[in-house]
Formats: sequence, C-alpha cells, structure tokens
Amino acid sequence: MRCFSTIIFTWLLSVSAVMAQNRTVRGTVTGAGEALPGVSVVIKGTQTGTITNTNGSYEISVPDDKAILVFSFVGYAPLEETVGSRTEIAVSLAIEDRALEEVVVVGYGTQSQRNVTGAVQTVKVAELTDLPVPQMSQKLQGRLAGVQILQTTGKPGAGMSVRIRGQASVSAGNQPLYVVDGFPLSGDISTINPDEIETITVLKDAASTSLYGSRASNGVVMITTKRAKAGETRIGFNAYYGVQQIPSRGIPEMMDAREFSQFMKELHEENNRAVPSEYQHPEQYGKGTNWYDQVTRTAPIQNYSLTIGTGGEKFNTNAVLGYFEQDGVIINTKFKRFSARLNSEYQFNKKIRMGVNLAPTLSIFTGVPTDGGPFTSPNSGLVTSAQLSSPLIAPVNPDGSMPVTAISPGMLPGPNWYRVARDADLTDRSNRLLATAFLEYEPVSGLTLKTSVNAETGQTFFNNYVPSTSGNANVAMPRASGDLTQRNTQFFTWLSENIATYEKDVDEHHFDVTAGFTVQRYRGDMTNITATNFPNDRIRTISAATSFVPTSEIQEWGLVSFLGRINYDFKGKYLLSASLRSDGSSRFGSDNKWGNFPSVSAGWVISEEDFMQNIDAVSLLKLRTSYGVTGNNNIGNYTYFANVGAVNSGATNNYVFDNTLAPGNTVTTLANRTLGWEITRQFDIGFDLGLLGNRLTLGYDYYTKTTDGLLFNVEVPTYTGFSNFQTNIGTFKFWGHELTVSSRNLTGNLKWNTDFNISFLRNRVEKLGTANAFLGGGTSRNITMVGQPIGMLWGYINDGVYMTREDFENSPQFQTSDVGTVKMRDVDEDGVITVDDRAVIGNPNPDFIFGITNNFTWNAFDLSVTAAGSVGNDIMNTALEYTNNLDGVFNVTRAVGGRWKSEQDPGDGIHPRTLAGTTGLFRNANSLWVTDGSYLTLKNISLGYTMRPENLKALKNVRVYASIQQALVLTKYKGSNPEVNTGGENPLSQGLDQGAYPVPRTFTLGLNLGF
Amino acid sequence: MKLKIVITFLGAVLVSGCSNFLNIAPQNFISSENFFETEADFVQAVNATYAPLRTVYNQAYVMGEMRSDNAHYLFNNSNRGNLVREEIADFINNSTAEPAAVKWSGNFRIIAYANEVISRIDEASFIAETVRQNLKGQVLFLRALAYFDLVQYFGDVPLMLTPTAGSADEILDVKSTLPRTPKVTIYEQIVQDGELAASLLPGKAVQEKGRATAGAAKTLLAHVAVVQQQWDKAENLLLEIVNSGEYSLLADYAAVFDPGNKNHAESIFEVQYQQGNLGLQSTFTYTFLPNLTNLSPIAGFQFNNQSIGGWNIPSEDLIAAYETGDKRKAAAITDGYTAADGTFVPQPFIKKYVHLPLPAPNGSSANGNDNWPVYRYADVLLLLAESLNEQGKSGAAGYLNQVRSRAFDSESALITESDPGQLRDLIAKERRIELAFENKRWLDLVRTGRAIETMNAYGAALKASGKHPNLIPQTYQVDANKLLFPIPFNEIKVNPNLEQNPGY
Repeated sequence: MRCFSTIIFTWLLSVSAVMAQNRTVRGTVTGAGEALPGVSVVIKGTQTGTITNTNGSYEISVPDDKAILVFSFVGYAPLEETVGSRTEIAVSLAIEDRALEEVVVVGYGTQSQRNVTGAVQTVKVAELTDLPVPQMSQKLQGRLAGVQILQTTGKPGAGMSVRIRGQASVSAGNQPLYVVDGFPLSGDISTINPDEIETITVLKDAASTSLYGSRASNGVVMITTKRAKAGETRIGFNAYYGVQQIPSRGIPEMMDAREFSQFMKELHEENNRAVPSEYQHPEQYGKGTNWYDQVTRTAPIQNYSLTIGTGGEKFNTNAVLGYFEQDGVIINTKFKRFSARLNSEYQFNKKIRMGVNLAPTLSIFTGVPTDGGPFTSPNSGLVTSAQLSSPLIAPVNPDGSMPVTAISPGMLPGPNWYRVARDADLTDRSNRLLATAFLEYEPVSGLTLKTSVNAETGQTFFNNYVPSTSGNANVAMPRASGDLTQRNTQFFTWLSENIATYEKDVDEHHFDVTAGFTVQRYRGDMTNITATNFPNDRIRTISAATSFVPTSEIQEWGLVSFLGRINYDFKGKYLLSASLRSDGSSRFGSDNKWGNFPSVSAGWVISEEDFMQNIDAVSLLKLRTSYGVTGNNNIGNYTYFANVGAVNSGATNNYVFDNTLAPGNTVTTLANRTLGWEITRQFDIGFDLGLLGNRLTLGYDYYTKTTDGLLFNVEVPTYTGFSNFQTNIGTFKFWGHELTVSSRNLTGNLKWNTDFNISFLRNRVEKLGTANAFLGGGTSRNITMVGQPIGMLWGYINDGVYMTREDFENSPQFQTSDVGTVKMRDVDEDGVITVDDRAVIGNPNPDFIFGITNNFTWNAFDLSVTAAGSVGNDIMNTALEYTNNLDGVFNVTRAVGGRWKSEQDPGDGIHPRTLAGTTGLFRNANSLWVTDGSYLTLKNISLGYTMRPENLKALKNVRVYASIQQALVLTKYKGSNPEVNTGGENPLSQGLDQGAYPVPRTFTLGLNLGF
Repeated sequence: MKLKIVITFLGAVLVSGCSNFLNIAPQNFISSENFFETEADFVQAVNATYAPLRTVYNQAYVMGEMRSDNAHYLFNNSNRGNLVREEIADFINNSTAEPAAVKWSGNFRIIAYANEVISRIDEASFIAETVRQNLKGQVLFLRALAYFDLVQYFGDVPLMLTPTAGSADEILDVKSTLPRTPKVTIYEQIVQDGELAASLLPGKAVQEKGRATAGAAKTLLAHVAVVQQQWDKAENLLLEIVNSGEYSLLADYAAVFDPGNKNHAESIFEVQYQQGNLGLQSTFTYTFLPNLTNLSPIAGFQFNNQSIGGWNIPSEDLIAAYETGDKRKAAAITDGYTAADGTFVPQPFIKKYVHLPLPAPNGSSANGNDNWPVYRYADVLLLLAESLNEQGKSGAAGYLNQVRSRAFDSESALITESDPGQLRDLIAKERRIELAFENKRWLDLVRTGRAIETMNAYGAALKASGKHPNLIPQTYQVDANKLLFPIPFNEIKVNPNLEQNPGY
C-alpha cells in the first residue's frame, strides 16, 4: 500500500507549494554524455512539470527555494534537486539499475520490485505498441516465462488460450483470473483495447496470487490502465493499416480436378460400381476449382486510437478512444471494435481522494462459423469442409449465379461452401461496460482506508440465420428451410471492496499490513431461440418461422471474502510476508461453505549484505521462496444441488398419456453437499540476479504444485441411473523451471537489448475418479490416465498397409481387414486387431516453451524482433479423418493418389485401398495423424523511425513504423497453425487440429503522433 | 474512533447478510430438497419414469429385430457413422456398440427414476391411498419391465433397488463398484415387482390411457414365465388376461399400428410418442425408410434421409415367409416406391409404422407420431397357444387361429395340426409374422434355442446371394456367446468389477 502513502505525501507537499510566489528555473539534462530530450521535470509533490526539448533543455516555473525538481526518464534513475537559490540547474542522469526500484502491482496493492518475494513478471505495454494485433494476449506471446499463450485460431476477434504454469483442471477451466485496476473480471480481456493498458503484471506463484483465494489457482493477470501523468497534457494518436495474407505453408494439398476424377474412377472400378460419366475421362479436366483459394482472400486490418490525458493539481483525467477493424482472410468475415476508457481522479483535500473509471466497448463479429469439423451444425467448419468439395464443380456458374451444392456423383451431399460463406448472415455483437469508483481516506498518517464499488455489465447478441442454401456435410442441398439461432445473454456483477492498509517503520523494521473484506454478486440471464421452418430465406426474423424452441437460463453467484496480509522487512534485506484469504461462496456445497487460502513467503537480498559490497559485478542478488494454497471455484453455480428437472441429458422427462402432454420431473443429477473448490498447493523457490550494474539480469524460478480435489464429473456406471457425479476427486501434479534473461548488449549510439525467457513445464496425473478410470480413451482422441501427462494423444499405431496377401495372412487383422488395407499394430498381442489395441501415440504437452525479443535503436531508428516457440509437443491432425477418406465421399489430399491399388501397384505403403467395407479403420485416430508440433514463430518484426520536428511546436514527436506480424513459422507440422487446438481451453483435449481459421501474416504501416 | 465505527458497521452488515448471500437457490430447476412434497410432485416423478422408454424403444429395433432374420439394412456407402448398427446385425459388434449402451443406460434410468418414487411413496401420507397404490404399481411395473429387457439382452446385471444418493464416498466407492447380480436373482425381483404391480394397478377401463395396468403387469409376468419355461404359470396368467375380457383383437391388422387409434382394445402396453419438437416424438418411422437424399417419393415432401434411414429393412427371408393370402404382409411391408422420374424402385421397407402424411420434420431431424407396441393381445394369444402346446395340452390351435383368422380371408388358412412338434414350429412362425418388426423375433429365437442355427443359415444365405458384398467372412459366425450382448465398454471402464460376457 505504499503507493497510497506516497500519493498522499506528495499531495501534502503540493498543498504548501501552491501558496508561494513563482519564479523560473532553466537548464539542460544529459545522460551518458548526450543531451536527453523528453525528460520529465516535475516539481516534487505537485503535478506541475514540463519535458525537455530536443536539445535536452527545459524551463520551469517554481514556487520557492524549497521546491524540489524531480527529473525522470525511462531507462535512467530519477534524480531530485532542491532548487535553492539557483536559476539554472543542469543535471546528468545515470543509467538506472533497471527494474529494481520499480513499483509493481500485486494483489490489493503495490510493492517495490526489490521487496517482492513472489514470482511476478511485469510487461510495459508501451514496448508492444507496434504489434498489429487487437488483443493484449496476442501481444504478450513470447514475453512471459511460464505463460503459454496460444493463438489457436486466426478468426478475427477470437480469444486466445492463456495458461500460466501449465495449470490444468478437468472441468473447471484453466484461464487465469484477469484483474483490471483491482477489479476481477468475469471474463477475459479480449475486448479491451491494448492502447488503454499501461502495464500487465502476471502473478504466478501462490504467495502472489493467494489473496485472490478461490479464484487464484490458474494464476492472476493484473492489468493497470493508463492514467494521466502529473503536470502535463498529452495527446497521442496511434494508427496502423495493414494487409493480411495467408502464408502458403500449411495449406493442404488437395487433389485437383483431374486427379480427383482419376481417383473416383478407380474407386468405382475397385468396387465394381458403374463409373459415372463425370469420372470416365479424367484427362478432360485440368486443375478445376481450388476450394481453399475460393473461400480465402487477402484482407485489410486497421486500428486507430486517440489518447488525451491531462493532469492538474486536484484533478487528472485520461481518455482513450479506439477503433479497430479487421476483415478476415476467410471471405465475408469481419471484426470491429469500438472502445473508450475514461480514468479520472479527484483529490478533495489532503485526506480524501476519489476516482472514477469508465470503460465501454462494443465489438462485432460478422461472418460465418469457420472452425471445427464438417459434420457439425449447418454452415460451420468452413475451413475444413470447403476443401472436401468436388474440384469438378465451379463455385459460380457462368451466368453469375451460385450453385447450391458442389458435389460430384457418389460424394456426400453438402453445400457450395463458397456460397455458404457469401450467404452467411451471422452477427455476434457484444457490449461491455466496466465501471469502477473508489474513495480513499487517510485518517492518520500511514493508515489508508479505501472503499470501492465496481460494476461490470455485458450483453451479447448472437444471431445466425443459416439460409436454406447453407448446410453441412451430409445434408442434401438446398435444405427445406433456413434456420435461425438467436441468443441473448446479459450479465451484471458488482463488487464492493473495503481495504485498510497500515504502514509503519520501527527503527529498521518495516511493517505493511493490509486487511479487508469484499462482497461480490453476479447474475447472468440467457435466452436462446432456435427457429426452423422458414417459408423462405427473405424474411429472417423469428416471427417468420413456424417452429421454434426457446430456452432460457439464469445463473447467479455470490462471494464474500475476508483478506489480510502482512509484509515485513528488516533493513530492506530480510523479507517476510504472510497472507490469508477466506472465501465464502454460494457455489460451495451446503456443508462446505468457506475456504481458507493462506500463503507465506520470504526473501533475502544477499547483495545488501556487507560481505557482498566488495563484489562489484553483482548489483543484485535476491533469494526468495514461497508456499501457499489457492483455489479454483469455476465449479458451476448450482453444481452441488440435486436437480429435479424436466430434462435429463437433453432428453425431456415429460411424457404423453391419452394424447396429452403429462409433465414429468424427477431427480436428474446427484447432490454433493461437500462440493468445494479445487485446491492447488504451490511451492516456489527462485532468485533474481543483477550483474554489471544490472546490464545483465536473470530471474529463475522452480515451482512444484499439486492440484487436489479436481472438480470433475466423475463418470459413474450408468446403472446408477446417472452418468456422472460432480465431485472433488483427482490430483494433478505440475512442476517446472523458468528462466528469464535480460541483457543490454550495447548501450552506445547503437543500442541492443535482448530479453529471453524459457520455461520447462511438466505435469503428471496422480489420481482420477472411480477406480482411477482414465478420462477420454475409447474413441476419443485424447486420454488422461494416472502416471502419464495430461491429455495424451490416443489411437492406433499405424504400421502401414498389408502390402501383399502373404503379409496380410501373417499379420494380426481387424474384423474388416483385407490385403491392401491399413495395418494397425497388435498392441495387446492377442493376434487380432480390436479396439483394445489403441495406445498412447503422442504427447501434446511441450517439453519447453520460449520467447526472445531483440530491440535495437540507432539514432532515430528502432528495430524490434520477437520470436516465440514450443518444443516437444505433438499434434494430431484429426482433419485427416476427412481429407484422407477412402470412401469416395470427399475430395482428398493428393497423397491419397499413392494408395494401395494391387499387389503389383502397392503404392506408398501409407495409404490403403478403397475397397468398400474395409476403409473404416483408417478413419480412426492413428499414429499417421500425429507429428511433432514443435515450432519457432517469428511473431513480429517492427522497424520504426522517430522524428522530433523542430518547426511544428505542437507536435512533440512523430514515429512511423513498418511491422510484420506472424512473419515466419518454422515447424515440421504440416498443418497451417502449430498453435492450433480444436479442443479449445479443455486441457484434456489438447493438440488436436480439426481445421481452424488460418492465422494470417500481417504487413502493416503505423504512425504514432505525440502532441 | 471513526475506524471502529466503520468496522463495526461493516461487520454488522456482513454477519446479517452473509448466510443468505451464500445460499443462492437455483432458478433454472427445483432442487431435490424441495421436491416430493405434494401428490403432484409424485405424479410428475412417475410420469418421468416412463420418459426413458422413448429413447429405449426408438433404438430397440437394432438389437431386437435387425439382429434377427427378419430385417437387415441398406449398406450406406456414404455414411459410415452408424457402422455399429451394421455390426450388431452382422454379429461382429464389440462392447463399444452404442445401441447396447442406450438400452443399458435407458433401462437403468427407468429403474433409478422408479427407485426415487418407490423409496419415498410409502411415507407420503398426503397421497390418497388409491392414488398411491396406482402410482406405486406403475413404477414397479416399469422397473420390472426394464430389468426384464436388461436380463434378456445382457444376462447378469447389477441390481439397484434404492436411489443412488449419499456421500461422495458412498456413491463412488459402494454404488459405483457393484458386481453383476446373477440373473436368477434379477428374475426373482422382476416377478416380485410384477406381482406387486399387478395387485396394485387398476384395470384398463379405469386407468388413464398409456399408463401401466394390471393387465400389462400380468402380461409381463406371463412373458417372464414363458422365457423361464414355467408353462403352467404362464398359462394361468395368460388365461386371466384372456378371461378378463379387457382386451380383444382389432378387426383390421393395420389399424393396430395406426397413430389415430392409439391405446386401442388390443393394446396392452405401448410406448407413447407424440409428434412435434418437444422431444416426445418418435423417430423410428424415418429410420425404417430408405436412406434417400430426398424422401419426396415416399413422404411427399423434401427431406434428406441419407444419414437417418435405411435400417430395419425387411429381409427377403421374412418376405418369403408370408403365406399367400396373408393380409398382414401388405400392412407390414411395402414393395417399393415410385421415384420422381416415374420408375418403380423395388426397395422393400417397413410399412407398419409409416402413416401418411408423415408429420413435418423438425429441420433435419425426424418427427413421428407412431407409438411403439410393447405388448398387445395377439402376443398374449400366441404365448397362450405356446404355453398350452409346450405342456402337451389341447387348445393351442384355437388361440393360434384367433390370430390367423384376422390375417386370412380363407378359412382354409386355419391350423388343424395337433402334433406338438409341428405346432411348435407353426406357433413360432406365426409369432414371426404377426409380431414382425415389434422386436420379438431375436429374443424368441434365443429363448427357443434356435438362434444359432437360424442365424448362421440366414447369414450364409445372405452371403451366397451376392447382394451383400460388404459381408466379410467374420460376419454371421454365431455361437453361444453371441446370444448375449456385451456389457457396454464404458460401464466396465468405470467399474472394472463388472465382468464382461464371454466372447467380447
């Protein structure tokens, strides 16, 4: 809580300052022997100040001789000079011992970096402005140790997958808690304009997160938004415009018209079916239609944001307005976001301060569902589905009309995917408003009372009219009628926080105590209507439908918490901290309402010890360790109740007697009165090391944590009448090493900084539900079993093809096997291939992940290169189920041309024959689908040039830059995006690629203006 | 001072508000703590016990009829998603076969719903005695019916007679680890439940249509007795039903299945469906139609039945088994349909459950109004004939001919055979024809010991016909192990104490 006392202190000074007469002081500021432009010069304790010009000189009006000038500039240690009688003050700033004295945001307060005993990493968003991406998490890729940030889809506006220290839960989610200016959000930060953000701090270990109690297990991301700087008025304008292209690497190679026709001809012949005329003369065709090209394009991306900030003595305010627009690289997809944020603070008198922040956003996605498989709901899964269309069919007729279907004889019915994309009528619009207000009161010196009221409300309107001309695989076109899904969701949550902090120095002992309680309440309402049987596609409102099914739902929760923390240090060398949060939640079972989440941590700043003073090379050495308990309360709002309902697993409990509906209600879920949060116990030990005046800094952490009482829907035998039981059972163990290195390689005219981080992440399943029964397995593509890492890839081991009759007869066989069909391995060695021969065939968990950023500046030029990578994880390309289909129902990859045709023409030994009735096994998950998913992605390269125009007084600086996002992806994985993950956030279903929106390469030009 | 006031005030707010704040009752559903408090609650819980019948009987044809020589399927090259149904028909299914899991879990859901009621209703003094008896009788009947289905298809099964509830340990370590109970014990329970139900339930005349009746309970008991070859017991029960006068054969065979005529005089127990999109509709009508991408020639409206239809297609063997002049053939099976171009497509399919105009589909999902006949009077008459014949008693032909005289115009079709061996075959054949596509055939073959021989011969004929090139050599290798279905894979995965049936 030091920040508050500092603010109050400075405020006190300012009060005395305004009383006196003013006079002028001028001078120049130098650093490393050169004039420093842009240095902030502020009269201490006031918000009066100025900035040095291009020559490093300044001029400021001071009230009296006692005034103290504070000179500060990024990268340099701040310097204070008492004015005295001087009228000219020249100062030279020393390069700062970077980061050590910086104040970092922690839970319910701030702390100096030096005193932090937990595992915390901060990123200044100013360093990331050049990245032409709309979401904060995208900008953080490769920047944070121990944080896995994946862009699983290129869909404009789609959320990112963020996992801190590999945290995983079976069903309670693994996304971290996002806290914006102290307010825990109910969702993620995808709708927040990154230009509103000043810093991001990631809290990783239990000591730093445990004050968030039952919501802290997945880690906490603290976001601090921009505030006006004291004593200045600033106007900033940032804009970029760019072009997105799909990189050629990873685009699946499907058969062209001639190859497909040949394939279909041979397939019909092999199965003794009459060859349809379309396939009788393959040589008549050329390339035909490339469906991937048809549904993709090069598309623009643009962003504008305006920041206006002004800081006065009593009042400061900062406004950020933003507009972002991204046309997707899939045709007819688009994302737009309007955002605003207004942060204001008002100082009533020397004891009372208040602030109000308001941040509305509106984001709109329009287009077509793109991700997923071809058999999901109508008009979804476009990326994979389009490629399965017949290359013999043109998407647009010569007369300009569009056919409704794009199949050739024998293929599964399905739509013309080009038309599906063109006709798509999907809107996903969400409004969100964050509003926070606080009142702070300092009754006596060192004691601060703060109360805040925070509210968040959001509305989402989803409207997807799927015209009769749209469908999905295996749907005859056109469909009899279009259909409509319309969903309205709204939520409102309020949080009252009441925090007292007290700071006290007794000799060389420093105490800092925080206590508080908070109350939060949430309510969400959802209505969903699916409407069918529209008379035509022209009127698309619900009232036009003749059949509709409405559903609605209300979700509420309440959370009451008490929290306390004590930080103690002796001589700034020996650091101790302990905290406790007690959470009472409406979600917890009636016999288990309250959970306690304690933590302790300790640090030793060895470099402050006398014996270290002679070792000049070491500027900082701090050892720190922590242990604590956190929870994950994403267990559903009413999970502990036994439902009595009219619906069970999607089936109604109503019945009909005498042709009349008879309502049915009965117990449909099992009660669990002791249901609770998931418990994570985490130990962390690490050090921070600064060498050579902190030109080289290192941070290292080892952690080990155990998540117990995993909430999951334990499968119970269905003879109980239920299929699952929500309970806390099961244990995952996680451990890993994190290393960050930050180096200022060159500090002269050519400056070169390198930031590198690497994280080794491991996990193991220790215990699962009933009989430790594995999760997944069977026909699922992942399996989670005791003793193994989470979510291993699962399927048959593919040993190629039975190449000869002899090979076939001497090998174990599946029921439907024949010579020329796929040969799976007899894992259980019982002489036949059965479902029991499936095995673990890959590990989607990486061995390590890393990121590296190099920044260069030379005169007015700056260059930044960021790369991120992952090593050792496997990916299963499940889209091969469709693109390697051997039934002649889809277009297939060119590689299928190398299939087994006869013993004389046995092909590549990979692709089996197309004999009907034998092909099913090849569609099952198998090791042929699994490849190493390691990658190194050059996330961003930005080159900038900064001007400080002399003749335009109003304009303080102009910077232009060019940037390439997703510049290069190096990987052995054959699919387009090695960060893909069809399973979404589900940690048990990682490493699958069913086909997703491609992640484009983006070339942009940008402009930053400062007034 | 101020601080103290503030803290005291805030503390007071908390203490008073806390407990309510943390008890937020769901608004989307009722919790079990507030249910079973009124008669209406019990009625609804009983209604719900019938609901899983819909799911079970929509798919029961796969194991009950398509497994037999009565029906096959249309090989659907374009949609292999329902491969497991083919595998069941062709005797190459394994334990992951979904229809078996549906039957298993659906029946056990009925049992669990019944147990919720049975465990509470005796204490529910607020319910009038007659109502209480009726409700209890219904759920006892349903529990018996569900166990009877399970025991016939799976053999030994776990015996659940109380609701699954309690502490986490109890649910996970006790209820979820039960072994299979020997089927002799299951049968004892079925008989006990059935007898109690028969004594509690009212007759057909007074019971609401569609609910279980005393007659239904007795038919179930008689069927159980037949399966256990307790012929005299079966005979007595069946005679009680016949002599009650509650039931009679309809004059027209086709009318028995007419959804305009549900719960008629011949009906003893049928699963109630109602068209619409409320989840009450049946889907089997579409399932039994050919897998056309456009159903117009049959349905009169456009509908893609590609991934829905093509199942339970009448076998040539069954079609050939109909005698000349049997009116039931035209009522049960259609020879084919006339395609859009005017040509006749000779593709037989079931007509019994096709009643035009079909209800409009729900988007791309099927929608049907037909009920499923579980027990009807003709079945009772044939069981009675069989029970008499098996005891060497006379009178079997008379009951048999009650059924036949509806099917044939000519009196010459009536059976005069008196040799019990010959009569046994004639009764079996009559059951096959009269009850075709009512899921009786497979279990009849099993209980009469004819399944292995009949199905091997049938499979050999299918393969020899050359019309089913997808039948690989492993198909139709029927042995004693194939008479039971495997315990569903997932069930054993979760509870390894359940021992798998041999051969799977």
